[in-house]
Amino acid sequence: VNPSDTSERVRLLSVAPSPAFWVAVVLYGAAAAALLVVLAGKAKARPVALALVGAAFAAHGVDIGWRGTLGVHPAQSVREAIGFLAFILTGGYLLASVRYRLTLGGVVVMPLSVILLVLARLTPAGQAQEDLSALGRVHISLATIGVGIFALASALSAIYLAEDRALKKKKFDAIAFKDRGAPLESLDRLAHRLIWVGFPIFTISLVLGAVWVSKLGASLDRLEYPLAAVTWLAFATLLVARQVYGWRGRRAAVLTLEGFASALAVLIIYLVRRMVE
Amino acid sequence: VSELFVVGMSWRTAPVAVREKLAFREEEVPVALSAMTAKLPVAEALLISTCNRVEVYGVSKPGGDAASAVRAFLAEQRGVKPSDVAEHIYEHRGSAAVRHVFSVASSLDSLVVGEAQILGQLKEAYSVADAAGTKGSVLSRCLERAFGVAKRVRTETTIARGAANVSSVAVELAGVVFKDLAGKNVLVIGAGKMSALAARHLYASGAQKIVVTNRSPEKARALAEEIEGDAKPWEDLQGLLVDADVVISSTGAREPILTKALFKKVMKARRWRNVMVIDIAVPRDAEAAIGELDGVYLFNIDDLDKVKQANLAERAKAAEHAAKIVEHEAGQFEHWMRTQGVVPTIRALRERFVQVADAEMQKAFDQLARKELTRDQQRELMQRVVQLVVNKLLHQPTTVLRGADRGEAAVLANAVCELFGLMPDEEAQEPVAEAAAPEQSPERKAQA
Repeated sequence: VNPSDTSERVRLLSVAPSPAFWVAVVLYGAAAAALLVVLAGKAKARPVALALVGAAFAAHGVDIGWRGTLGVHPAQSVREAIGFLAFILTGGYLLASVRYRLTLGGVVVMPLSVILLVLARLTPAGQAQEDLSALGRVHISLATIGVGIFALASALSAIYLAEDRALKKKKFDAIAFKDRGAPLESLDRLAHRLIWVGFPIFTISLVLGAVWVSKLGASLDRLEYPLAAVTWLAFATLLVARQVYGWRGRRAAVLTLEGFASALAVLIIYLVRRMVE
Repeated sequence: VSELFVVGMSWRTAPVAVREKLAFREEEVPVALSAMTAKLPVAEALLISTCNRVEVYGVSKPGGDAASAVRAFLAEQRGVKPSDVAEHIYEHRGSAAVRHVFSVASSLDSLVVGEAQILGQLKEAYSVADAAGTKGSVLSRCLERAFGVAKRVRTETTIARGAANVSSVAVELAGVVFKDLAGKNVLVIGAGKMSALAARHLYASGAQKIVVTNRSPEKARALAEEIEGDAKPWEDLQGLLVDADVVISSTGAREPILTKALFKKVMKARRWRNVMVIDIAVPRDAEAAIGELDGVYLFNIDDLDKVKQANLAERAKAAEHAAKIVEHEAGQFEHWMRTQGVVPTIRALRERFVQVADAEMQKAFDQLARKELTRDQQRELMQRVVQLVVNKLLHQPTTVLRGADRGEAAVLANAVCELFGLMPDEEAQEPVAEAAAPEQSPERKAQA
């Protein structure tokens, strides 16, 4: 693909969703519903639910591959990256499900994945994307992976908070207690490790992004930039406070969710801006 | 059996906040037992005070309202207003009391149905009552039988199968907080038996190290030796808390030991690593407020109960079976006690009859010895002796029957009929007439 060819760029950006996309959306929805059924007490439905998650993941992969054959890479644009983020989330969830029973996490992750995927494929693209330099692509790739990892850590933190609450309030019949997938200790440790991995990736992507934006000569007064800084700050604080003061558990989980919420806000504001423009 | 009574409160009727007010410490029990038998209309008494129940099993003196007296006594002893605890205290008398004692011994009334601790605690309370000299024949029989029933229930039902005692509930809860117990440190505060059991259970489930601390270093050392742990001085408590992952507290202290102020310092020093505090002491050792601190998971004895509810369904069926055994055994026990009750009466009756007969016989022999009697005179003498014996034996019952008022007379008359197999004429007429009527009808029908 010759990036300098404007008509080719426009074609790529308007590539319609593949049939596999629709299959993936339906399967994501079905998986979320099945996980809700498991959560409601039908433990026997668990294999079915996980099979649906796997099928949705596969269909999503086919969609990404199909676009790839047409020359659209996951890091081609932010929209593509958002779709890829959903893919990373589902993959991470499947991986974690091998070891832990994370029904509650699935109920959070599946709808999140389907929303991200639909946003990525079906929102109006607006005007043609500016040319993405190599720098821009690396920035987007790293940011996607970083936020994906943060999203998984956030899902674990959300489960942590639910279990913590059930224990503190002695709600031993609460779903978070009855269908707990992993003990608090494991959730905390796993989330911490994910953040350890995700933070450097996210940091590099931020630096590259800043360089990229300044190279483009674009204005720096967009709302996304301070929000991205907030995300970085939240995770930086988390890592430092844990190392120095031993912050962990509930505090760490809350901070993780705050950091991820601002990362999510960055994505949403970006998409809204694209639509408006 | 009718004089047997149970007065007390348990986890079923009273929350820990109330139970801890009525709880007796080990050394207070003999004193209370002696006081009850000395001051109240109580002939025999046993007091069991565990974290889940405070109960008095006793036998009342004839005519006295022992149960009510004990109820007031318990409140007075602990300096509690009787009205404050009245709704939490239950009473059982007679056969209901027997059933209750059997149920408690069989662990059917326990917080964790089927747990074995209560039987040991009951045996302990039994020997304490024995030492205090307040254990009499009725309580002895009832408790000995209760121990037998408990054994039967354990062997014949699945009630004790599966982990569902305080210790294993603690292990289950630890599984929610910690990945596994391997490498985890357990701190036992207080050298109580309950904490020893829980600690041992955690150790068996993989905990790395057990540290015991107690106000009295000797007791700490003894328990540490028993459960292969280390005894540490009481003064190091704060440091020990920093190193511990699971804290089991069951001291006899009246005031909380694990205060929020202490735990704030401890949590900072342990860098907010999660800690699980299991407070099985009644009165509680830990301030409820420490459970609000980040990373502190506090469970008191009532919380453990809630967890167990989930496991209870499995044991419910076994408990039903066990309840039938208890019911059957209680019925047998009552029957046995009742027959034991009439034995002295039978003996007295026989003695009296023999005594009356002997006395008249002796008089007759004396007459025979004084002068020769003709055959007719001998016959007359014998008739008179028999007549006298009958008269003497009948005198008392007849007087009582004649002197009784209407209602009482009917009861007594019935009893006499029952005892001697009599069928008085007036009463016999009607049933006979009634019985005759239906007999005729088939014949008539046949003739028709």
